[in-house]
Amino acid sequence: MSRALPALSVRRLRKSFGAVVAVDDVSLDVERGEFLSLLGPSGCGKSTVLRMVAGLVVPDAGQVVLAGEDITGVAVHRRNLGLVFQSYALFPHMTVADNVAFGLRRRGVAEAELRPRVDRMLELVRLGALGARYPRELSGGQQQRVALARALATEPGVLLLDEPLSNLDALLRDEMRVELKRLQERLGTTMIFVTHDQAEALILSDRVVVMQSGRIEQVGRPEEVYRRPATPFVARFLGRANFLSGSIAGMSDAGVVVAIDGGLSVVAVAHPGLAPGQRVAVAIRQEHIRIEGPGAGPERVNRFPVTVVFHAFAGQAHHYVVQLADGRELEVAAPGAVLPLARGAAAVIEWGPDDVVLLADGGAAGAR
Amino acid sequence: MIRGRGWALLLPALVLLLVVFLVPVALMVPTSVRPYVPMVGITSGFTVRYYTRLVTDSYYLEIIGRTLALGSTVTLATLVIGYPVAFFLARTRSRWRNWLTLLVVFPLLLNLVVRTFGWIALLAQNGLVNQALQALGVIQEPLKLLFNFTGLLIALIHIFLPFMVLVLIGPIQNIPRDVEDAARVLGASWLSAFLRVTLPLSAPGILSGSILVFVLTISALVTPRLLGGPTYQVMSTLIYDEFLQRLNWPAGSAEALLLTAMVLALVFLSGILARRTGARA
Repeated sequence: MSRALPALSVRRLRKSFGAVVAVDDVSLDVERGEFLSLLGPSGCGKSTVLRMVAGLVVPDAGQVVLAGEDITGVAVHRRNLGLVFQSYALFPHMTVADNVAFGLRRRGVAEAELRPRVDRMLELVRLGALGARYPRELSGGQQQRVALARALATEPGVLLLDEPLSNLDALLRDEMRVELKRLQERLGTTMIFVTHDQAEALILSDRVVVMQSGRIEQVGRPEEVYRRPATPFVARFLGRANFLSGSIAGMSDAGVVVAIDGGLSVVAVAHPGLAPGQRVAVAIRQEHIRIEGPGAGPERVNRFPVTVVFHAFAGQAHHYVVQLADGRELEVAAPGAVLPLARGAAAVIEWGPDDVVLLADGGAAGAR
Repeated sequence: MIRGRGWALLLPALVLLLVVFLVPVALMVPTSVRPYVPMVGITSGFTVRYYTRLVTDSYYLEIIGRTLALGSTVTLATLVIGYPVAFFLARTRSRWRNWLTLLVVFPLLLNLVVRTFGWIALLAQNGLVNQALQALGVIQEPLKLLFNFTGLLIALIHIFLPFMVLVLIGPIQNIPRDVEDAARVLGASWLSAFLRVTLPLSAPGILSGSILVFVLTISALVTPRLLGGPTYQVMSTLIYDEFLQRLNWPAGSAEALLLTAMVLALVFLSGILARRTGARA
């Protein structure tokens, strides 16, 4: 093989709970040192995949391969993986230092060697002075850092993280995100991160795996899944988008012209394999639509006069709902620094052809 | 809640406790130091002989020792038998779970005297147990299972097992599964995870279950009376005889106060222990 062995592979994993298929034929390769996210709504099977990798859930079919070795049948405690839980899952009856030392002690590390290793791990997560405390004396963020140190102390082949930031409040979550990413870059540990938060997945990951109903919808770099979603589900899950359905009308200098049902015509960047007359869905993310006051302006594609029907300020952005001439409503997010437009005001919206996501199978996408 | 208002909620219970518990116990204190003269009754005067004989006379020391031995053995046995049952009931997702729990409680619904007579029928010289063991050829001569420690032990374990199981279920249920899973992912085998994580985290349940069963055992009267006969005494039967057979109230009071002191000391000590383990759990 020319490529290095993947740090972890899962092959055709399958698991059902009673009549519910939780994971349906999932295959994945995780490269050494990679930060991979499993992203999807709750119940999409992402946590079950993680638990099967850890050995806590026994798969109905398929294999888990760690650094080339099939560990599907290996007991949980012999897998040398790290797992960080949403609930932190610290041992409440042990001090922070004993929590971190737990995995090392199970591996027979001598007590003399233990102290410096535990101290080093606590240093790493910036909790150097708190070794003698008990978990309940720490804040949520500190507890999760202990959990991280505990999981990393044994130098696991792969670190699995099951929604580790979801129990933290917004501010702390942002902080921990940055810390986690820097930790990963510094240690080079392979990490699989389960989350339902698309922003978290995009910021942290080298690659994102989008899952729905136990299946993988798309695997790609964050920019790929964001800018070129493979399915309507991915387009909808990664940020709020406006969906319009129509059919391919033809080509122009600017790109493909899509005749939207009801009269608009939208120009998108050309893709290979599009035939005139083909049904498509067009997705335009709300943050990609520019909004400005009424005025003549240059005559350009994807520029439409609208009326503002709703406005709200959300800090980083103004949220608008605007109505097109044909009565159709679109959601727009404009940068917070822009002067707001009042409800009822006339305005103009515009987006670039490269901001338009074209999805085949317009029927399914246009349904919502 | 405003400080002080909460105490009002405790008032009815406190009043009840005062009237039916504290006052009678307090009244026993003066009684216990009066000399009792046979055929005459309680006389005025002062004596501590009913106390001193409890800690010097080997007859009483044996009864006290037997009571404590019975309490500890029954507690330990119900813990060993009850923990796996409670663990199963706390963890099972079976739809029979509620029925199984009911099965644990079921013996409590039967009258204590009835259950005890059941044990007499089973454990007697030619009772069911001895007959079965002889028929199977396990033993030649019938075992003596009644009017001794063994018989009391068997019956009391049976009677107090449900209490232990019921008290243990809650604390075991409260242990998050994630914590056990974390231990296993970190390299602990199932047994090691159980011993290092699950068992220490069930300590509050083990402690309260043990206190409950121990206190119930050393103060049980009906079962020791019926299964121990008139000669095999424990503290509760001794007190009973003292008051109602020999009419020696001062002696009975002294013995009752000792039993009460033992129970209070135990509850107090376990409170300290709970606070110590609780500080960590």
